[in-house]
Formats: sequence, C-alpha cells, structure tokens
Amino acid sequence: MQGRTGPRILQPYYDLAKLFRKEALAPEGSSWVFLAAPVAAMVCYLTVPLLIPVLTTFGLPLGYMGDILGGGFILSLASFLVAVAALDTGSPYAQLGASRAKTFGAITEPVVLFVVFTVALVTGTDLPYALAATVRSSAGQIIRPAHLLAAAALFMVILYETGRIPVETHTGTNEFGMIEEARPFEHSGPYFALLKWGSAMKQLILYTILLNVFVAPWGLASSAGIVPVLLAIAALIGKAALLGVVVSVIDNSFAKLRLFKITEFAAAAFLLAVLGVFTLYLGGG
Amino acid sequence: MIAAAVAAPSTLAGGANVIAVGVLLAEFGMFRQALLRDQVRLYAAQSALLSALAIVVAATRHLPELYALAGLSFALKAVIVPVVVRRLLRGIGADGGDPRWSDIAGSHTLGIASTVLIAIAVAAFGFFTVAALGIASPVLPATALSISIAVILVAFVLMIVRQDVVSQAIGFLSLENGVSLTALVVAAGLPLILEIAFLFDLLVVAVVFGLLIRVHHGRAESMSTADLTSLRG
Repeated sequence: MQGRTGPRILQPYYDLAKLFRKEALAPEGSSWVFLAAPVAAMVCYLTVPLLIPVLTTFGLPLGYMGDILGGGFILSLASFLVAVAALDTGSPYAQLGASRAKTFGAITEPVVLFVVFTVALVTGTDLPYALAATVRSSAGQIIRPAHLLAAAALFMVILYETGRIPVETHTGTNEFGMIEEARPFEHSGPYFALLKWGSAMKQLILYTILLNVFVAPWGLASSAGIVPVLLAIAALIGKAALLGVVVSVIDNSFAKLRLFKITEFAAAAFLLAVLGVFTLYLGGG
Repeated sequence: MIAAAVAAPSTLAGGANVIAVGVLLAEFGMFRQALLRDQVRLYAAQSALLSALAIVVAATRHLPELYALAGLSFALKAVIVPVVVRRLLRGIGADGGDPRWSDIAGSHTLGIASTVLIAIAVAAFGFFTVAALGIASPVLPATALSISIAVILVAFVLMIVRQDVVSQAIGFLSLENGVSLTALVVAAGLPLILEIAFLFDLLVVAVVFGLLIRVHHGRAESMSTADLTSLRG
C-alpha cells in the first residue's frame, strides 16, 4: 500500500505501552470531567460487547439486556463523554473537533435509525442475535435487497464513525479537516492511551457488528466449549482483518471529501437505508 | 417476538429485486455525476442491469423471446445509444476536447444532498402509491413494480433539477429504462415485435436529442438551459 513499508503490526500496542509509562498533564482550569471521561468512555466500550454476538451464536448472560439501540446509546454516550472532555479543556482545536463530531453525528443518526428499522422489520425484534440467526437461516435472507441495502448503509456509517478516508484522514497530524481525531488533543499520558485504545476498540466493536450481525455471521461458536470458542476467535480475527483490507483499499483509492461535502456522503447512506425500509414495506423486499 | 417478521422472498425473487434496486440506485447516482461522460456511462450500466433482469425473468418464467429482447436491448441501450451520444458530444467538444464543456458541475439548481432528499420523498410517493393500487404480477414481485415507478419519478426530478441539455437527455433516456422495467414486470409476455419497435423508437429519440443538443449549443454557445428562460425580442 502506498509503496511504503508500514510500521510493525503491533506498533499501536507499543505506542500504548509507551503512553502508559508517561506522566499525565491536565490543562489549567479543567475540571474532574477531563480526567474522568477517558475512563468512563473505556467502560462504555467494554460494555457493548456484552450485547452483541462477538464469539457465540447464543446470548451471553446479559446479552438480552439491551438491543441494537441500547448498544448504539452506549457507544454514543462514550462519544459524548469524550466530546465533553474536549470542551472542558478550553482548547479551540479540541472544541472544534467535538463540535464537528456532534454535528455530523446528528446527520448520521437517521441512517442508523433506518438500519435498525430494517432489522426490526426483517426479524420482528431488534436484537442483534436474532438478525444474525435470520441471516444464517437461508440464502434468500442474504440476497434480499433490504438486507444488502442496510448492510451497505451501516458500512458507510462505520467509515464515518471510525474516521476513515471519504470523511476524514485517519493518520494525519494537525489539519483543519479533522473531526474525531482532534478531540483528544489535550490529553496526555495514560489518559491519552485510554482514548486511543478506546477508539481502536470502538472500531473493532463496529466491525464486529457489521460482520457478525449483517455480513458474515458464520464461524461463531454454538456452545461454550473451549475449542469452538478458540475457533470463533480465530474466525473473528480473520474476518476483521479482511474487512480491514477492504477499508484500507478504500482509504487508498479515494480522496478525502471536503467538510461540506460530507452531507452528500451521509445523504447516500441515508438513501440506501431508506430504500431498504421501502422495499420491506411492500412485502417483497 | 412481538410483531410478525416480514418473510424473505425466494432467492430468485430476491435477486430480481436486488437488480431492480440497482437500476434505481443508478438513477440516484446520476445526481452525483458531474461529468457528462460519467453520466452516459452510468446510463449504459443501468441499461445493462435491465438486460440482466430480462434474462433472469426469461430463465425463471420460460419466456424464450425475452432472451432475444435482452440481447437486443443490451446492444442498443448499453452500447449503441451511449456511443451515439458520446460521438455527438465529442462533435461539439463536450467530451474531453474542450475543458470548458467537459464538466457540467454547477448545473445543479440545488445542492446534491437536498436533491437526493427530494428524490427520496418523490420515490417514496411512487412506492406507496403503487402499493396502494394492489397490483399483483405473475412474473415479478410487486417490489420491482414500485421500484420501476420510483425510477420514472426520480428521472423526472433529474430532468427538472439539472440545467444542462445533456443531463436532460440522459434523464429522458433513463426514464425510458424505468418504463421498460415496468413493462417487464406488468407485461413480460408482450409480443416481441412491439418491444423491438419501442427499442428502435429509442434510437430515434437519441438521434433527435443529439440534434437538439447540437442546435442548442450552436445557438446559445453553452450547454445550459438557463439562457432559454429569458425571452428575446
């Protein structure tokens, strides 16, 4: 990719280890919210995998506690906490990122809602486990337009949520087009490490939702034995790596959209999600 | 389980629906395309999807004359008409030659996002109107019929919103694709000779549009129809 040799595959973990050893500084005048937010966000990211089929086809003990909307609420709570912490710093750059993230979050929210409507119409419920089981049940469920459209719309939302190329550059340093990446600017040391780790976890959570609920819910363990679970871990890593390859191909073949063109991207995702619901309402989708 | 789930269609019906949705998405994609040649290319892709749908219908419903129709409509609409349109554009330097005409960005009267939202509303109107009629077709599921009506309505939006002659011509041609889709759903068993007559009509339409584009370009020195709104004494 890009004709260059990349860093080692474990480089993010080396970065995290380095950051955890450094001292943490808080900007003058910031309150306890600034320090609490990274930890709280991390807690949110750790909660969501309880609700979605990560490794097993059956629900975990608390798996039916919340549906897709519940998981979405917890994810947006984490994003809200990070934004509040960014506002707390008083740094204009972090505030800009927070304000943009919330603005575009409001635009992508309808897309997520319509994807959930599609799921609800397809399965009669909106539990992620139910949709995964429905998709596994027959080929007719995979090829129906509503399912394909909803999966495509969700993929576009994930590109936005993880800050990938048509929306924002993931690897840049300081630049004006930044949205998500500008928020943790004032954090340092272990807190910054938690934020970085949290955003990496969020990416894996969203990939898991797309893969294990929508696109490829195969290779999950159907019992709690050690061998099926190990196989499921390997399958998840493999699937996530494949999706990562797709995303990085997109990363390298498109230019970043101008900030005011992001509405077009969101409009396209919205179109896909709405068409999914339309075809379902006519009974044949 | 609270509500009854919407049952999945059979794999073939689902496939047919996916192709129909592809035709509709190509129609929406034309809003996004700023370059004339990309628009023509998208029209060719849309026509190819339509031919694929005709083949699916022919295979599942055992209507052998539809194979001939699919082949002919692919040859005419996915190859000949796009080539003719591009030729005509090249004649007036619209296609690559003169950079002034290679780009029609700015012919939008509205932003792309708002246009798409309007088109979604119009398509929703088409969808639910057809659903209210309650037409059941023996050949294709009702979804495809609603999608075809949505394609026709969205093509109207394209022709209304875009202010250049080429987009309007492409809008009209893709409207004909929507009509073909409807015909495929409602009357797949139509005599072949009628379908072929329609197809050759389309060729005439393409030539007439080409002529109009050239005349307009010759008079107004531009591809925009905005100049036509003011009267000349």
